[in-house]
Amino acid sequence: MSVLIIIFLTAVVALFAGVFEQGKFSRYIGILGLIIAFYVSFMPEHAFFNQYKSMFEFGQNAALFTKISIVITLLIFFLGGFAFSNHRSHQSELYALMLFSLCGSIVMFGYQNLVTLFLGIEILSIPLYVLAGSNKTDLRSNEASIKYFLMGAFATGFLLFGIALVYGSSGSFDLYKIHEYGIAAPNNLMFTMGAVLILCALAFKTSMAPFHMWSPDVYQGSPSLITTFMMTVVKISAFYAFFRIMTIAFTGITGEWINIVGVMIIITLFLANAMGLAQSNAKRMLAYSSVSHVGYIALIFFGMNSLSAYNLAFYLFAYSLATVGVMMCLIWVEKLKRETSYNAFRGLGHTEPILAVTAAISLLSMAGIPLTAGFMGKFAIFAQAIEKTPFLVLIAVLGSAISIAYYLRLIMAMFFPKESSFKTSEKVTLTYNIVAVFVVIAIIALGIFPDLFAKQFGL
Amino acid sequence: MSYLLLTLLLLPLAGSALVFAWKNPASKYLALGIAFAEMFLTFFMLSSLDFKPTVDGVLQYEINYPWSNFIKSNLHFGIDGMSMLMLLLTNILSVLIILSSFNEKPSYRNTFYGLILLMQFGLVGVFTALDGLLFYIFWEVTLIPIWLIAGIWGQENKKIQFTTRFFVYTFVGSLFMLIGLIYVYTHSASFALTDLYNADLNASEQTVIFWFIFFAFAVKLPIFPFHSWQPDTYTYSPTQGSMLLSGIMLKMAVYGLLRYLLPITPDPILGISGQIVMVLAICGIVHGALIAIIQNNSKRLIAYSSLSHVGLMVAGIMASAILTMKGSLMIEGGEGALVQAFAHGINVVGLFYCADILYKRFKTRDIRQMGGLAKVAPKFAVLFMVILLGSVALPLTNGFVGEFILIKSIFDYNVLAAVVAGLTMIFSAVYLFRFYGKAMFGKGDERVLASVGDLTDVEFSVMASLVVFVILLGIFPQPIIEMVQSSLKFIFTSMVK
Repeated sequence: MSVLIIIFLTAVVALFAGVFEQGKFSRYIGILGLIIAFYVSFMPEHAFFNQYKSMFEFGQNAALFTKISIVITLLIFFLGGFAFSNHRSHQSELYALMLFSLCGSIVMFGYQNLVTLFLGIEILSIPLYVLAGSNKTDLRSNEASIKYFLMGAFATGFLLFGIALVYGSSGSFDLYKIHEYGIAAPNNLMFTMGAVLILCALAFKTSMAPFHMWSPDVYQGSPSLITTFMMTVVKISAFYAFFRIMTIAFTGITGEWINIVGVMIIITLFLANAMGLAQSNAKRMLAYSSVSHVGYIALIFFGMNSLSAYNLAFYLFAYSLATVGVMMCLIWVEKLKRETSYNAFRGLGHTEPILAVTAAISLLSMAGIPLTAGFMGKFAIFAQAIEKTPFLVLIAVLGSAISIAYYLRLIMAMFFPKESSFKTSEKVTLTYNIVAVFVVIAIIALGIFPDLFAKQFGL
Repeated sequence: MSYLLLTLLLLPLAGSALVFAWKNPASKYLALGIAFAEMFLTFFMLSSLDFKPTVDGVLQYEINYPWSNFIKSNLHFGIDGMSMLMLLLTNILSVLIILSSFNEKPSYRNTFYGLILLMQFGLVGVFTALDGLLFYIFWEVTLIPIWLIAGIWGQENKKIQFTTRFFVYTFVGSLFMLIGLIYVYTHSASFALTDLYNADLNASEQTVIFWFIFFAFAVKLPIFPFHSWQPDTYTYSPTQGSMLLSGIMLKMAVYGLLRYLLPITPDPILGISGQIVMVLAICGIVHGALIAIIQNNSKRLIAYSSLSHVGLMVAGIMASAILTMKGSLMIEGGEGALVQAFAHGINVVGLFYCADILYKRFKTRDIRQMGGLAKVAPKFAVLFMVILLGSVALPLTNGFVGEFILIKSIFDYNVLAAVVAGLTMIFSAVYLFRFYGKAMFGKGDERVLASVGDLTDVEFSVMASLVVFVILLGIFPQPIIEMVQSSLKFIFTSMVK
């Protein structure tokens, strides 16, 4: 919980830097705060926070996911200087809101009680509604914001109704009490209804088909760096919250919801990958790709074992790193070309080899080519699920087969043309090159020595 | 732990990093030097290699190092006779392929050579891995460089389409293999090769896995109905790309078929699945040869001839495998396939190089518009002829030994199948001599012929080295056969258990 407090205080300081017209320092304040928080997340919790255990517990898994989210947020903050360079007047709000949103994520990692879950989701979402619309003058950004808000409000309704039904039948908000109730009374229809409604609400937050309709529009309309944040940190927290409630509270009635998840996986994989193939805009393609990844991740519910949470963290981290790698390149291209169609990337490999190679390796990692982190993530999930549902693994493989086609299109656009469509006078900033090199090294190192992940994050 | 093998593995990788970093026209000499060093290292290892030990025992050069706590897989590499043969092929051909590109104008960038060395790293990994997961990883690693080579330097107006098809097709195949291997892994102690051989699988599971793993190999080889990516990819890739694809990469699948598919899933071979593969392979032989006869594009002709030759290798392997499963241990098919794999590697690289030389002279790939080159280029005419004879499988050339053993092993299995498969010898004579006749003899365009010369030094050295191998292996095939014998005996005996 000390991590949560540190990040919250950092956010407040970053916000007030803007109040005193020192907005340009907000980013550095944020980076500093995140580094401190990352350091603190390795320390054991202070005994004082034990009294909050029934609401929030910063356990081993919560710490693991917190560390991942902080690393990814740090990368995003490093990219912020260039990406938000046209937001001169109100930079501090953007960083402060992202940090507030991160607080929500951390609440969602350690919740012990459905009330805390609800609070976490709201703390996460409300800053995002603002951030999605932060490009005030852009009509698409406004559209994204209002769409996200309306759909999000609707999903919140589902969540609350589900929580109410679960509370009504089990008589408690506590995850472990609900767990016991589910085992004792597996045939209570009201309880099952509640579980399914909560499942739908969280499927919405993780943008799993058929609740994904908002995500391509929102991801495309939002400023690119905010999209990166939504694709990575928000997805990590939403999915872990999903995982946690399903595998702790509702284990007693697994038979009732597991098939729903299975069907959703099939729809997600086919729909998202087929739609991704049909796109001509790289940003929208990445939005669909992000939806399709939820399909692979959700295979984690099948054939669960003691390593599942670790595998989930690994996959999400690999996916987030790759997303940062591609989006970084996209932000640079978007700034220069004012658009993100495949054609805008033509010949980037000639003028910005580091950025283009990073994007290419990230895309290959997303597709699951060996020697990248993405392969190890997919491998672990497939190996876990194949015993229980070989059929779903087959579907997932067919999904990856479709997905490689649209990832390749972007790589081809960057490397295959003989001439570059970029002016050589415009060079990418040093920060971007450093982040790019970090992302590439991390992806390849995790692909070769997957155990590094466990070592680095103190498991 | 063998540092020699570690060097063999990492030298191309380090070399490719150096070549990528050194943006200089001279980097091609660096690449050539590294390939040479790798070749000499292979020869050095060959000189003291004992071919008797098999992968279940202690190999001479072996690396075994724990890798991950979460996956039961080791960094396990080693060399037995069969791996050695494939390493020889890879490392000899890599030198010649790099050398063959020196004449190119404008010359290739350093990235081209970096990618070739990266590819060599993947290939050495595939042929030395003794662990299912490592095999898959290296199998995929080879795909990226060749895809980039084909895409960046391929034919401009076609490259988006053919490279996408090539990549997606082979990637889908590999993914099916991955699922198959993971499934076997969940039913065995670990990913180690011998554990995979002893996996606890019932007959129906084996059938599904057989087809999953076979699909990957069938696409890479390619076997008859899965070959639609091949003609375009071979035709529109740069010459060196076609050489890598057909000369070495295709052999990964022959190797994988013997090393992984047969011992892991032996049961379906006796059933209908084995028969289907046999029929597909023989269809491929005839189909490839018949289409090659009517081709006018030189590279496309070679592509279809490759399809035909590969079919014969698979048919031979399957014939011996089926007979072995029926109770009489037969390894001839495997021997023939490996000898032929080596010979085909040499020959097809030679043929693609000849097609490239012809293209440089005539500025066209259409063999109807060529002609009369034999008069002005006698050296080329002779060397081209020898390589051609090797491909046609004339006695005393390298192609003959392999094809003879293969057809003999198919004959043992079924006479009719052997008769149909034997057509490959006749058909290959038809299309290759037609190719030679049109290109080298006849009238030809006088103006073109006046301006072209005989082989340059680079061209001559590559062609001459290939011809030496064609003749040498045709006269002394025994060392190769002895090299692979004990590995094959182990593979075929572990099928019956």
